[in-house]
Amino acid sequence: MAFSTTVSQRKHIKRKAPRGFLKHVFKRQKPHLRLETSGDLLVHLNCLLFVRRLAEESRMNAFESKCGVIKKEHVQAAAKVILKKSRG
Amino acid sequence: MAEAMAESYNRDSEPTTRTLLRRVLDTADTRTPRRRRSARVSAQKALLETPSSRRLSSPTKMNVRRRSHRARSIGRLAHVHTSGNLEEQTPRTLLKNILLTAPESSVMMPESVVKPVPTPQVVQSSRRESSRGSLELQLPELEPPTTLALGLLAPGRRKQRQRLSVFQQGMDQGLPLSQEPRGNGSASSLTSSLNLTFATPLQPQSVQRPGLARRPPTRRAVDVGAFLQDLRDTSLALASPGDSLRTPVATLPTDTVLEDTQPFSQPLIGRSPSVYHSLPCLSHTEAEDAERAVSHRIQSSGPRLQNHNPGKPTQLLAGKAKKVDALAVSFPNNSSAVSGEDGVEPLQDGVGEEAEERMEESLSVSKVMATTGTQGSVRMEKSKGHREMTEAAEAKEPEGSSGASPELASSTTEFLQARQPQFLEPAPPPSTAVLSSEPLEPLSTRLPPRARTPGPRARTPGPRPRQDPHKTGLSHYVKLFSFYAKMPMEKAALEMVEKCLDKYFQHLCDDLEVFAAHAGRKTVRPEDLELLMRRQGLVNDQVSLHVLVERHLPLEYRQLLIPCAFSGNSVFPAQ
Repeated sequence: MAFSTTVSQRKHIKRKAPRGFLKHVFKRQKPHLRLETSGDLLVHLNCLLFVRRLAEESRMNAFESKCGVIKKEHVQAAAKVILKKSRG
Repeated sequence: MAEAMAESYNRDSEPTTRTLLRRVLDTADTRTPRRRRSARVSAQKALLETPSSRRLSSPTKMNVRRRSHRARSIGRLAHVHTSGNLEEQTPRTLLKNILLTAPESSVMMPESVVKPVPTPQVVQSSRRESSRGSLELQLPELEPPTTLALGLLAPGRRKQRQRLSVFQQGMDQGLPLSQEPRGNGSASSLTSSLNLTFATPLQPQSVQRPGLARRPPTRRAVDVGAFLQDLRDTSLALASPGDSLRTPVATLPTDTVLEDTQPFSQPLIGRSPSVYHSLPCLSHTEAEDAERAVSHRIQSSGPRLQNHNPGKPTQLLAGKAKKVDALAVSFPNNSSAVSGEDGVEPLQDGVGEEAEERMEESLSVSKVMATTGTQGSVRMEKSKGHREMTEAAEAKEPEGSSGASPELASSTTEFLQARQPQFLEPAPPPSTAVLSSEPLEPLSTRLPPRARTPGPRARTPGPRPRQDPHKTGLSHYVKLFSFYAKMPMEKAALEMVEKCLDKYFQHLCDDLEVFAAHAGRKTVRPEDLELLMRRQGLVNDQVSLHVLVERHLPLEYRQLLIPCAFSGNSVFPAQ
């Protein structure tokens, strides 16, 4: 595996995909559609990348406002940008 | 000859070993036995003369020590060099070699280093000499130690062996090992390094660095025996009053004891010795409870057998049911849980697991069954009054179990009576009493035990908040967010992240729907996902989907997503 497989923080991030949760969400939103098995994992991958971009953007916002803590405003501003980007 | 003699006489001002040797050599030259060596001898002599002339100019400050050391070292070197030439080693040849190969400028050891090392080095030198008796001149009486310092390149191996033996001797005698490496430190790097490797002390490591010493791990032995003994004692204490007392009043004093033995409140509080084994405690108690429940349930659940058939999907339970039945059969229909316990212990683990699963299933059924039976509710109140049950989970029991069999009024009374002794006994048995009846009555038995696991949450038995699984699923991604951010975050920010994720999922599903519809499908396939990522800009011509999969997903998922060829002309996953 490539970069950042080692967890620097004390808490360990589990790398499993909550497949049941994803399927449940999709079913709730679009009950008339079906989701394939491996599509589940790709959705998880998409989520990972989205969350990663969001985190980096909020981190940058926090840096710019010279804050040591990520605040709600940072996240909000970041979300606007990233959601627009990942509109597809 | 004359020159040699003259030279020797010139050097007589300093009667060193070298001069003595030279004299010996010069005088003894004519007596060489072997003729064919005469040429060599003469050649050597010529060679000897030149270095000796050179030596004349060298500083004459060399003391006997150094000369001797050099001589010895030279002897070794010379031996190696000329070993090919000599078929026989005579003192003459050795001397010649010494003089031949003596370095012009000896490696002068500082006096300070030389002095502290005399004793071990005397030993070493003597050993060396003893080992090479045939090879070396007997010059020990003149030699103080410090041979180590001089360049000993050729006989390095022999020296190492010696040093090892000396090292071992030194260890036995308790010689300080540091002296050796110190002495060698100033010597040539080769030998010093070689010697040092042998001289690495094994023992002082732990002395110098106590932290590195290996300590046996201190492990506390699991006090299972004592724990079980305690359990037996308590159950004995509980069982005896439990049988005799059938009146509500009598239950009161034992309620406290009952409560003590409840699985979730008790093991961590009441039983201090087994506190640190809370997990085995739980498994033990649950298993034992199951067994006790089994033994007691048999009485009450007898009449119920006919009423409730395992209409429910109990295929899963069938296996467990059989096992529990077997256990139940093994126990006599007595109310004493002691005998049950003894039989329980060997089967604790298996039963414990089954008990858990049954409990979970029973809870799901319990809600269904909770609607029936007002009688059951009445009796539940009664039994509630009897027991100071703090957990509503157990209160569910009578409700559920009696609700399951509303038509059996008589049986319910029996049940209640049977329950009372159970209630008098450690509280878990009633909850797991339902467990035992599960194989016989899958419906009724499911109700109570499930309530045990959530514990305090079951106080308000109702529909679980629907947000729960959704939030727990989202929390996974929220944790990932905080991990990627690498910075502390506010709680409000985390909630904001949750909102964002919700919006994101909505957008995602919409997009996937559009893409699938565009392809004329009703199933979302990985191709749609890839198209989505391409539109998002994550996948482009430089970065393909497979690359992203490899980067961010663990191996197991990679194997599922990326088609890979295997032996036998097969590709997984199939394309």
